[in-house]
Amino acid sequence: MNSSRREFLKRSTSAAVGALILPQIIPSSALGLNGTTPPSDRIVMGSIGVGSQGTSNMNAFLKFKQVQYVAVCDVDTKHIQAAKEKVDSTYGNKNCRTYGDFREFLEKEKLDAVCLSLPDHWHSIIAVSCANKKLDIYGEKPLARSIREGQAISAAVHKNNIIWQTGSWQRSVENFHRGVELVRNGRIGKISHVEVGLPDGGRSIGTPPVIPVPEELNWEFWLGPALNVPYRGVSHWNWRWIQDYSGGQLTDWAGHHIDIAHWGLGFDGTGPVSIEGKGVYPREGIYNTAVEYDFNCVYKDGTTMRVANASRQKYGMGTIWYGDKGWLRVDRGDVIEASDPKILNEKISENEIQVYKSTNHQQNFLECIKSRKETITPVDTALRSISVGLLGEIAMLTGQKIQWNPEKQEIIDNKMASRLLSRPYRQPWVLPLI
Amino acid sequence: MKKNILFTSLFVAILFFFNACKEKHAYKALIVTGQNNHNWQASSPILKQLLDQTKLFTTIIIETPAKGKDMSVFNPDFAKYDVVVLDYNGDAWTEKTRVAFVDYVKNGGGVVAYHAADNAFVNWKEYNEMIGLGGWDGRTEKDGPYVYFKDGKQICDSTPGRGGSHGARHEFTVQIRNTEHPITKGLPVKWLHAEDELYSQLRGPARNMEILATAYADTAKGGTGRDEPMLSIISYGKGRIFHTTLGHCGNGDKTFPALECAGFITTFQRGTEWAASGVVTQNIPVDFPNSAGTVQWAEYKPLSLDEIVSKIEKYDVSKSRKYLYDLQNRIRYAEGNAETLLSYEKLMVKILESNEATIDAKKFVLRELSWMGSDYCIPQLKKLESSADLKDEVKFALTRIQSIK
Repeated sequence: MNSSRREFLKRSTSAAVGALILPQIIPSSALGLNGTTPPSDRIVMGSIGVGSQGTSNMNAFLKFKQVQYVAVCDVDTKHIQAAKEKVDSTYGNKNCRTYGDFREFLEKEKLDAVCLSLPDHWHSIIAVSCANKKLDIYGEKPLARSIREGQAISAAVHKNNIIWQTGSWQRSVENFHRGVELVRNGRIGKISHVEVGLPDGGRSIGTPPVIPVPEELNWEFWLGPALNVPYRGVSHWNWRWIQDYSGGQLTDWAGHHIDIAHWGLGFDGTGPVSIEGKGVYPREGIYNTAVEYDFNCVYKDGTTMRVANASRQKYGMGTIWYGDKGWLRVDRGDVIEASDPKILNEKISENEIQVYKSTNHQQNFLECIKSRKETITPVDTALRSISVGLLGEIAMLTGQKIQWNPEKQEIIDNKMASRLLSRPYRQPWVLPLI
Repeated sequence: MKKNILFTSLFVAILFFFNACKEKHAYKALIVTGQNNHNWQASSPILKQLLDQTKLFTTIIIETPAKGKDMSVFNPDFAKYDVVVLDYNGDAWTEKTRVAFVDYVKNGGGVVAYHAADNAFVNWKEYNEMIGLGGWDGRTEKDGPYVYFKDGKQICDSTPGRGGSHGARHEFTVQIRNTEHPITKGLPVKWLHAEDELYSQLRGPARNMEILATAYADTAKGGTGRDEPMLSIISYGKGRIFHTTLGHCGNGDKTFPALECAGFITTFQRGTEWAASGVVTQNIPVDFPNSAGTVQWAEYKPLSLDEIVSKIEKYDVSKSRKYLYDLQNRIRYAEGNAETLLSYEKLMVKILESNEATIDAKKFVLRELSWMGSDYCIPQLKKLESSADLKDEVKFALTRIQSIK
């Protein structure tokens, strides 16, 4: 039995004991009356990172009656305050506990699951710490800032036998599922090529002056394992345009349209064998991730995939698979189109490939916590999706064609490029032992 | 003054001619100027410099007679040139000159129509067919449709109205519409152009024309709200025409930001080579602008590596990192060539050793060395291990370098 599940039952037992001793304070909801969820079925959750994405994730979980949010953690007291207010107003009490340090949060809270919505440079240390606590994890994409960190998260998830769901929510949206199912069942024939369009980068903000850190923000903790830099007013959200923390639009969106491309190809467990392309970077300012990018991947079976910013793509954003019988394109906004529109109405019969179906990304995670089955976007799938983005980034930063061994997950014969597979941490931060 | 320019230009052109003879592919370029509602006295020598510094061209400037004077003396032998660059918006040429020019193009001559050249010659049918689209000079629906982009598609719009307009000068984004054409291949698809007039509402025959790049004419700047053509190519007979609406050079202006723009310069140089030959052999400069910001070149030319390095050392990179960026892009362009990378590594180690280089410059260098540093930089990194300002970055670099033996 999974130990998270064990803890869960342990807690249920103590709740039952409590009920025997102090029956007068048991609210009716604890007994599962009036359509509420009894404690034995509840999933006790907390969030680390409750900024913009963290808030929308938490709000999504709060809609589920079987979820009980008990604590939130962030390095910004304004985030914490807003999140606590949301949780407390949901339950009509003042019980949500707050933390500014994830280590204390993990030490004190007894949770079943945690939702992580953090800047990429923090993903690895916190995800591994949570996995080591046997917490099931809903973790934002991209899986990690570097491939080695992503592998560490994967190892921690497997070692601790926890459930992992990646925030690649497009997998739980009908048009993407439908498109993938049609492609996987050969409706456009054998696939030879995929085009992936992700957003363009934006205009430079220059180099803003160094300013005092706002009172609510623990800047030192926000930086954590990243190199120390003076505060210039950029932290939440806009970290994604700075290479110390992110790979820009490319890595931000790799967990969406590249993830979908892999899903359609049936490549969730593998990666390209060569990656080659060019990036265009801002000349001025603190934002230094690629504003344009365009690279080609070749897979072992000869399938090719081109990833580029939308303005470089004929069809802009989204994923298009090209097969020997035609093409099929999916994008946000329920877009699904094909060279032969008739195939879009075709049924997938019982004898054909049935692609994993989820209609709600958070619900899928919650169901898997109970069933102990794999989610629709497990950790290794996320690792393969972000690896394409990160290898593209390495090809562009080095100006070199990268040869990749997808089985060993190693760059072949290129020491310089291999160094970019990991990011050293600033002391005292280290990756916890797995 | 004009005579002086002509004389100097000729003299310089002769010098260049002898120099260029040593080059393999020296095209002959003729810049036609002498009348314009713009500052042609400034722009034509700049255009000549731009062509000559590619080392692909020997360029001669020819001035027409002044406005209202006898044009019969303007009768160049176009056929002697591979490309004719038009920086001209003035009196009609003589019949004889017009016929010679049309023959030249029909027989495969190259033409570049620069900025207000598309204002010229409203009544010369063949000329308008060559430039595709024009503006002002009384152009209306009689001269052809408006052509622009809307929602990513090219529109031919026969609505009656004036041809040619522009709002206030401003920086604007140029968007490449054909990334595979030799002129535009390899350029960022979006780049911020330095302050310029954004030519709009151009109309003309637009036959055998392809728009290579557009810019959105923002209504907030007095624009049309359309994506207007900025760069286009036209074929006429066997001739190739490159039409750039960019590069305003105003009378009385002290600086010419549009002409200093590395985007204008590069597309002008590439477009002219293509018009002359049908191919483009020039590399794209390491600091070509993109959507993040403009790039202007002082004296209309890029900095050499030596100039960049001399600037990096004394530069406050906490305010601007453009020289470091230029070095970083050279590293990327080296495509892993060990010898070239080592030469850059040596430069970076020099920066680390320098007492004048700023801490921020050194931090930048250490991040770069973390992936491309060889054994060469290790002793210098070790020396800096105890530096209070740099120890984290040094550890970062050393850890990463030593992670892969």
